[in-house]
Amino acid sequence: MYFVETEKVSFLKMQKDNTGIDQVSISLKVERPPGLLGSWRKIIHNISRYRFFLRQLVRINMLVGFKKSFIGLLWLFILPVIAVFVWILLQGAGIVDPGKTDIPYPAYVLLSTSIWGFFIEIYRTVSQVLSGNGKIMIMTKFPHEVLVAEKIIVHLIRFAIPLAVNLVALLLFGIKFSWLSLLFPFTLIPLLLLGVSIGLIVALLRVVAVDISSLIDEFMRFLMYLTPIVYAPRVEIGWLSGIVEYNPLTYLIGFSRDILTTGSFYEPQKYLIWTGISILFFIVVVRFFFRVESRMLERLINN
Amino acid sequence: MDQAEKIPLLSLEGVYKKFSTDIRSNMVYGIRDLISTPKNYMHLRKREFWALDDINLKLYEGEIAGVVGANGSGKTTLMRIISGIYPANGGKILMAGDKKVTAVFALRAGMQQLFTGRENVYIKGSMYGMSKEEIDAQMTFIEEFSELGDKLDRPFGNYSSGMRARLAYSIALATDPDIFIIDEALAVGDSVFKAKCFDNLKDFVKRPGKGVLFVSNNIKKVMKIATRIMVMDFGKMILQTDDIQEGLLYYVRNCLRHLDDEQIELRLNRVRDYDM
Repeated sequence: MYFVETEKVSFLKMQKDNTGIDQVSISLKVERPPGLLGSWRKIIHNISRYRFFLRQLVRINMLVGFKKSFIGLLWLFILPVIAVFVWILLQGAGIVDPGKTDIPYPAYVLLSTSIWGFFIEIYRTVSQVLSGNGKIMIMTKFPHEVLVAEKIIVHLIRFAIPLAVNLVALLLFGIKFSWLSLLFPFTLIPLLLLGVSIGLIVALLRVVAVDISSLIDEFMRFLMYLTPIVYAPRVEIGWLSGIVEYNPLTYLIGFSRDILTTGSFYEPQKYLIWTGISILFFIVVVRFFFRVESRMLERLINN
Repeated sequence: MDQAEKIPLLSLEGVYKKFSTDIRSNMVYGIRDLISTPKNYMHLRKREFWALDDINLKLYEGEIAGVVGANGSGKTTLMRIISGIYPANGGKILMAGDKKVTAVFALRAGMQQLFTGRENVYIKGSMYGMSKEEIDAQMTFIEEFSELGDKLDRPFGNYSSGMRARLAYSIALATDPDIFIIDEALAVGDSVFKAKCFDNLKDFVKRPGKGVLFVSNNIKKVMKIATRIMVMDFGKMILQTDDIQEGLLYYVRNCLRHLDDEQIELRLNRVRDYDM
């Protein structure tokens, strides 16, 4: 068998000349895999071309869970209010008070878990982009970048609502916000990019390496305990302090938390280093994902 | 102008596609292909088979090409490759200019059960790449062609299979494709609507630059509508002919090839009774 490279070619343009005889000019345009910049240009072009579909997907995602509910989208406000209420109750009962953090412990945990949720939820949702949408992907041709963009937009909307509730709760806990707190949403960007990147890799593995993707899922759950979320970053427990030291989430989460609550910069140098790494990782992973996902998609069908 | 001189809308040259025979090898090769770009797409590894094997075909302007073949012969795989849903392992797919391909594979694909038919027009239409303005402009056509009346504003989940067919087909048609692929999408629905669709398809291909690939195992339908027939078997294109009757007989005989001549004749008569 000979090696034949697959090419998608557009050809043939018909024109009529003034004699009325068909003149056929043949132009071959062979589409080769684009480079890094070309790939990104194509991704942005595809999302822009299918922006109405993107709007539809966001609308479906936001509404479908509440279609049978009488109070509908109000659930998005009620659930975080209940969560905050529980925290305040627990603190009042003295159940949660492990000691020294810069801000009251319940406020610390409330905000830390919220930022952690921001990271882990985008990972979870993006990691299911192939396995969860396989059916429509094999039935209709459309650019799959739109699905990833939809996951990110819905995630940002769903995060913004409980965050607003949490901010009110933080005020109740006596936290005073500064002008620097306004930078908080922007400091979350590297966390978002890291979550999307890991999610995209696991999305591919979920199709062909279920064991590895399940292991990574478990590790991501466990990772919460290796990150200063329910305990302070200045933890002094032998091996754990070493892991916390080298865990990028320590800085990506800690920086965002401190800028919001105390208006200070937590380990700015390490935050910037991990921000740079997250951005580079994102650029490379997204390109890799969209180069190989069609090959993985056909394997999803076979499963 | 005979076919030798005509310019095809679509031309496939030596197209190959391979799949794995079992889940385990599918996963193993999937991991390998993920880690390293496969250098030789055309090499068949252990427990792989050709789902499409050296497919050559041309679709010309004004044609309704009926694609028939036993279950698992590769018809849907071929249509998915033409639609660009997933890539071929080898060969060339050539199109005359920037041709718009719309394929209808399954009626429920991409449709939302809890949303109304009208909302689903926007969802599915946008999935086909239409803008809001384009869908708005086509809404009257979809309302009229689907003949769903006020049912268009009821939840899609409550639709019968026939109503789903009406809506899905109308939306696909509203995209105004150049190459229209219908893969068993008209297998359900009432006879009146099907007849309307067939009339519409015949009118559709009279317009310049339009062609249809009609995938079906319903012999009667293919006989009524196809202007050419392509027969597939085990991933190969075993026959392409303008003689629809001859092509369909070849297809049925091929399906029955494990039987002796007498049994084949008996079964053929039954097929003639019911389907021809």
